[in-house]
Amino acid sequence: MGWVTEWAPTKVELDACIDCGLCLPVCPTFQLTGDEAASPRGRLTAMRAVDEGIMVVDERFGEIMDFCLQCRACEVVCPSMVPFGRAMEGAKAEVVAQLPDARRAFKRSVFGRALRVRGLVTMASWMAAGAQRTGIAPRLPGLLGRIAGLRPIPIPVPSTRGRTWDPDGIPKGTIALFSGCVMDPWFSEVHVAVIQLLRTAGFRVVAPEKQTCCGALAAHEGAAYDAADMVERNVQAFEGFDTVVVDAAGCSAHLKAHAGGDGASLAARVVDATELVASLIAEGSLPTIDVDRGPVAIQDPCHLRHAQRIVDEPRAILRAAGYQPVEIDTHGMCCGAAGAYQLSHPETSDELGRRKADQVRTTGAKIVASANPGCEMQLRTHLDATVRVAHPVELYWEAVSEARVIAGN
Amino acid sequence: MARAVDELTALLGDDRVRDHPLDQHLFAKDAGLRRGGAPIVVFPESSDEVAAVVKIAGAHGMPIVARGAGTGLAGGAVPQEGSLLVVLTRMNRIFEIDEVGRTAWVGPGVVNLDLSEATADRGLHFAPDPSSQSACTIGGNVATNAGGPHCLAEGSTVAHILGVELVTADGSTVILGGEAPDTPGYDLRGVIVGSEGTLGIVTKVLVRLTENHLDAATLLMAFDTIEDAARTVSEVIAAGVVPAALEMMDKPMCVAVENFVQAGYPTDAAAVLLADVLGHPAGTAASIELLSDIAVRNGATSVRVATDESERALLWKGRKSAFGAIAQAAPDYYLNDTVVPRTRIAEVISKTYEIAERYDITLMNVFHAGDGNLHPLVSFDAAEPGMTERVVAAAREMVTVAVAAGGTLSGEHGIGFEKRDLMSSVFSPEDLDAQARLREAFDQDGVLNPGKVLPEGSRCFDWGPA
Amino acid sequence: MTTLAVATKQLLERLHDPTVDVDAEFVVAPTSMEEAAEILAAAADVGQAVAFYGAGTHRQIGNPVDADLVITTTAMNRIIDYQPDDLTVVVEPGVTLGELEAALTDRKLTAVLPETEPNATVGGVVAAGRSGYRRLRYGPTRDRVLQATVATGYGKVVTGGSPVVKASTGYGMTRLFTGSFGTLGLIGPVLLKLWSQPRATATIVVDDPEVARNAAYRPFAVLGTRGTGRIYLGGTKEEVEAQAEAIGGRSSDGLDWPQPHDPPLRLSFRIPARFVDEAVLAARDLDATGWVAQYGVGIVEAGYDRITSDGFAAARSWAESVGGTLVIEASPDDLRRELGAWGSPPESVELQREVKDRFDPAGICNPGILPGGI
Repeated sequence: MGWVTEWAPTKVELDACIDCGLCLPVCPTFQLTGDEAASPRGRLTAMRAVDEGIMVVDERFGEIMDFCLQCRACEVVCPSMVPFGRAMEGAKAEVVAQLPDARRAFKRSVFGRALRVRGLVTMASWMAAGAQRTGIAPRLPGLLGRIAGLRPIPIPVPSTRGRTWDPDGIPKGTIALFSGCVMDPWFSEVHVAVIQLLRTAGFRVVAPEKQTCCGALAAHEGAAYDAADMVERNVQAFEGFDTVVVDAAGCSAHLKAHAGGDGASLAARVVDATELVASLIAEGSLPTIDVDRGPVAIQDPCHLRHAQRIVDEPRAILRAAGYQPVEIDTHGMCCGAAGAYQLSHPETSDELGRRKADQVRTTGAKIVASANPGCEMQLRTHLDATVRVAHPVELYWEAVSEARVIAGN
Repeated sequence: MARAVDELTALLGDDRVRDHPLDQHLFAKDAGLRRGGAPIVVFPESSDEVAAVVKIAGAHGMPIVARGAGTGLAGGAVPQEGSLLVVLTRMNRIFEIDEVGRTAWVGPGVVNLDLSEATADRGLHFAPDPSSQSACTIGGNVATNAGGPHCLAEGSTVAHILGVELVTADGSTVILGGEAPDTPGYDLRGVIVGSEGTLGIVTKVLVRLTENHLDAATLLMAFDTIEDAARTVSEVIAAGVVPAALEMMDKPMCVAVENFVQAGYPTDAAAVLLADVLGHPAGTAASIELLSDIAVRNGATSVRVATDESERALLWKGRKSAFGAIAQAAPDYYLNDTVVPRTRIAEVISKTYEIAERYDITLMNVFHAGDGNLHPLVSFDAAEPGMTERVVAAAREMVTVAVAAGGTLSGEHGIGFEKRDLMSSVFSPEDLDAQARLREAFDQDGVLNPGKVLPEGSRCFDWGPA
Repeated sequence: MTTLAVATKQLLERLHDPTVDVDAEFVVAPTSMEEAAEILAAAADVGQAVAFYGAGTHRQIGNPVDADLVITTTAMNRIIDYQPDDLTVVVEPGVTLGELEAALTDRKLTAVLPETEPNATVGGVVAAGRSGYRRLRYGPTRDRVLQATVATGYGKVVTGGSPVVKASTGYGMTRLFTGSFGTLGLIGPVLLKLWSQPRATATIVVDDPEVARNAAYRPFAVLGTRGTGRIYLGGTKEEVEAQAEAIGGRSSDGLDWPQPHDPPLRLSFRIPARFVDEAVLAARDLDATGWVAQYGVGIVEAGYDRITSDGFAAARSWAESVGGTLVIEASPDDLRRELGAWGSPPESVELQREVKDRFDPAGICNPGILPGGI
């Protein structure tokens, strides 16, 4: 029966793979299982089999695709440069289209619909905030079931949307802030850090009202049409801004990959907060603090390191803050959060989370830096409270403000 | 078959026995071109489980094929139709490391590079370094007697395997070789290496670990002609200088690799040589000078010396990604693995280009020049009508040229399916019969990886009472 | 058939004719492998046991063999194909190590065969799987036998291996033949991989060989003898000098190898390398007159005037308990009959027998010389 959607993996994408197998060792699910069916090569072979009409999209196909974390570590080591992440999103869209199933339908409604409805996100945040204060976790499936990894959510639930922040002097320029869906209420300190740093560097920061969720989680879950809608809405919301800063790696990766291809497109104007801050430090617009703050373990979000190939910038930012970045693994193995994956495959997610937490503990560092909310929650779930989990930009902003206070005194 | 699945499931559990058509499809091939078919795929986790699996397969008359990471290029792990495929990737424990004896007992599923990384803090590594070393398993290395760039100075896998635990065709377990040198009796350990899973399933491996070098430099030498580069190789060998590795890449290969790694490979040179000089700090300078002198004398247009570890790593990453990088040119490829005497490289390479031109096919070259191990690689699109036939015919001619120059069929990938029927071009019927006798001594009924290595009818001589 | 083969066949037929009462021992020296194969075929026909002989250097290794027919390699003693530019050489089995090394000196090459057995033949060294001291750096002899031709027990000439320095083409027949002690047939011409001699070498006298070994970068050998240790280095002049200085101790140019112990008795402890010091103690406990311990390799060869059966049994049992063997490498035949040349057969002995049966179906080639009576 083959493919039924416009998102399906293409022959060109699939033919790029020559079965060399160099992707196997960096694939977290292959590492855990040693199973070809849990490897990038195996997944591509399965897609090709459907493409060639040898196999159909059946439950086993769905299982194989669903088991993928979509971390895209395979893309980095692929000498044939197979666009695996794109092909996998296509395969997932096919699974959703061809295998109607309650679990997938639920995920689609959460990631494809609910995340872009601000009221729903706010309501969920209130509930989570309540649960954090009462200790009563709502018996809800979904992200709320894993609130252990959340930061304390302020009440009232904060939001950046529709607001503008001016620098002290005349603005050098304007930078748009991508507010995100859950970043806004759940990780507001990161937004604050980004906004304050950009102000410090002389920029006006604007968070357009009309923006919405980036659509990455929807795309990863096969809700491709919903994801495309969301991208479209964001393209409109950010029209006219030369630079759009995104402080969640999953969102910046998604917008860069999906929001158009030409130079004027939103994709070309999106910059991850780590890139932007690192470049402002490098050009001298933001300070380098000469204080020894000790070690910080680095956890590279997959969608920062693999999807965007951003590796040096978070380290540079931490060094500028006075920290010594400590590496925790060579390949940047996925922490297992992987968006909705922690809900659909809790065992695999937990195993990877435990491994990642062990790697962090081995360094002895009391802080671990991660530039993505999903990873952050996963790390916090698997580490005890003695290790702080924070965004590198947030750590840098703290150092900058502390240095200012000292200078002020 | 259903009974076999039930028994295997009782032994290993649901999760480690597969028979869904899609799983069968995923395990039907390795990194080469051929596809086979295994109705059942199992994932044992111990030697005992392997032995039990072999017995179950035997009881149901199923041939048995072992597989590691599936990075082989000759079809050694491609199951003949109807086989039980035994995947050994989960047997990936490093059991013990002896620092004084410089040995380690490891599972066959341990990844080559992982072993070197695990022993790095002891100043040791596992010397064979196939280009797939980040993915391929030690078990697969043993099966194919795998090589790699650094086998030039260190020797192929066989020189680094001291012992194996083998599950034989009847499901019994035996240890061959061991930590002590020169085990009395036949060197069956040495026979197992390179036997491509046809003599038994290796369930544990005793590897020799090699002392890490103290100093390293990588030379990248560019040439205007392939012949200049090939002559440089011959002269280096003749001078008795054996660098740790000496690799050649031609222009189209450099372009593809540079596109992936951006390591500064020249994209305008007809050929480059990549040489590794490893050793004692007091000795490397002299070796670098000697190699550069020979290269310049033979027309090198540039010689770049990389001593910085990250610069070296990037250059080698380029070399080791070469096979994958060719997919940028066309979706399919055919790869040869011939070896010729080091004195004949230039001549054989130029004949190879002539053949490619005559057949009008795209040829790239990337190979272990130092030991004469050629890898002419044809990049093509199998969808083009008649193309595959043309490529196969050209590839056969390339093999014939190499054999005529005193060479052989495979340096490190093995024979598998791929070159099985070419075996009679390098071995006489008597030679093949002797090899068939050896195989028969291990596997009377031919249940282990049937159809591999030896052509049909190898055992056609029946001299004397058996 | 050649005249020699025909004559041998006739003699063997007479010898095995139940109506004729003769008892004779004879030695034949074939000039080609085809001729050797014909002789072996004739011997197989009548079930005549055959022993093989080069220079006789290793004749006391292994269980004693009772064979009235001896095939000697003395008439096959040419260097057939020397390719210094490819670092390979093809030699017939009767060439001695001294002759071979002399032929390689023009280009300062070496076949890295045993340093102290110049009169041994290449065929004998390969058959016995003997390696020199430099195996620590270059690996054992079997790693350098790239191709080997054998006249099998079933009377055919068979070539195994490949004529190039690196191959994964068919089974490792050269591995099977190397160290097979002629039990599968007569080992004929072999293609050997050569190495270039380093420009500088040095021998350094040290107190503790194991410590010195860790201070040296890939030494040729680290040997211990009574009262002293020596470390052997090779490389460029600068490399050797730098290392000699780092290791300390008295250094002299060149490689000063210890001579092996002449019979009456020589034992070889082959044990995991970490047990070399213990093996030296075990060798001394048996009242060795001298020994050479190979650190990093796991071999201690010791010479004796006499040994006690009890002491020997204890030493062998210790060697086997650590995963090694204690092999008698030289002794009167009776002693090897009494104590067993090899000790307990390896656990693969049944597989080995299967191999033997297929290459020597009549069981005529050096019968019983290997462990397990193979």
